Amino acid sequence: MSNELSLGKLFKNGIFGENPVFRLALSLCPAVAVTSGVKNGFLMGVAVLFVMTMTNVTVSLLRNFINPKIRIPAYVFITATWVTVIDQVMSAYQRAVYKEMGLYIMLIVAFAIILSRAEMFASKNKLLPSFVDGVGMGVGFLLALVMLGIFREFLGKGSLWNVHILPAKPLLIMIMPTGGFFAMGLMMGWLNWIDRKFFGGTGGGGGGHH
Amino acid sequence: MKDIIKITMPLVLIFVAAGVIMAVTYKYTYPVRFQAEKQEKEEALKEMAPAATDPIKPAGTWTVNNKPYEYYQATAGGHPVAYIASTAGKGYSSFIQMLVSLTPDMKISEVKVLDMNETPGLGDQVLEKSFLDQFKGKGLSQIVLIKGETKENIQAISGATYSSRGVTNGVKDAVQTLVEKYGAGVRAAVAQGVTK
Repeated sequence: MSNELSLGKLFKNGIFGENPVFRLALSLCPAVAVTSGVKNGFLMGVAVLFVMTMTNVTVSLLRNFINPKIRIPAYVFITATWVTVIDQVMSAYQRAVYKEMGLYIMLIVAFAIILSRAEMFASKNKLLPSFVDGVGMGVGFLLALVMLGIFREFLGKGSLWNVHILPAKPLLIMIMPTGGFFAMGLMMGWLNWIDRKFFGGTGGGGGGHH
Repeated sequence: MKDIIKITMPLVLIFVAAGVIMAVTYKYTYPVRFQAEKQEKEEALKEMAPAATDPIKPAGTWTVNNKPYEYYQATAGGHPVAYIASTAGKGYSSFIQMLVSLTPDMKISEVKVLDMNETPGLGDQVLEKSFLDQFKGKGLSQIVLIKGETKENIQAISGATYSSRGVTNGVKDAVQTLVEKYGAGVRAAVAQGVTK
């Protein structure tokens, strides 16, 4: 990454230009698994935002200390450490939140998006840009999950954030894993279409290779 | 050889540092967590039997799914006001941990899910009040899961049949146990016109 990228641009990059779910197409598995409801998506997004920022900061600080040959185990272990710390602290001091989020926190260790940002960005950049990249990517992931959650919960259950809006369930399949893939594909397509039509972009999201 | 050490040492150092960080966190958070969990359990039991004035202590253990679970007799001034059992039922992807409380005449007064790991969005609908409230006031013979409209029995949630069955089985086993342990005594007492 070049130095001329301003921090604001970097932050926006995580949300729009390289949105983890819709553009980088990383961590799709958890994105499908937890977005059957807005609330689940939101809580997972918040947990990822925390871990992502912490991991990026740590990796950036240790970037000259970690030999490239052993970087993957080092990054995974740093992520696992932060996940464990957050899990334990939350289970002791934030019981109410932990009951809602506890299910998801431990899963984050294996998220592709965390490892990918450590590898692609934090290992090559200074502390502040890495921090901003972590926050931006985390917020981008959070927004993507919330969008998918709104779409799927409304169609699948006729409710939003567990509040019933429609009397019936219009399209039950949307909250099944199958529906998750439908929703993901449709939304990715829409966003690419909007990008091409109105912003003159190439609309080429969804690669996964980077 | 030198290279191996040069490459490995930082990794070992990271592992050790991470281990220390996790151990220290555990040391300071575990007591708080343990206390909070204990208190939550006591509060949950109290909620199951609001009429009880004496501390609710385990009366014994019973077995379901090859694991021991406790049951309790809640009393007020020495008289039983509720019977409670902790129980579990096998759902779709987890054992659904629950507390079940019975009134002295062996009807369900409350079912509370303590812990489960069912599919978010589908199986976790068993937590909803509309599903759990179906159990209230029902006796052992009525706890049968039905796919379709029912007032007499328990109506399964569409799309979450396995999870519904898990809850129903867990509750049924618990009620059966409590009826076996306490039901006879209650019947005898009623027959003799004495309150136990």
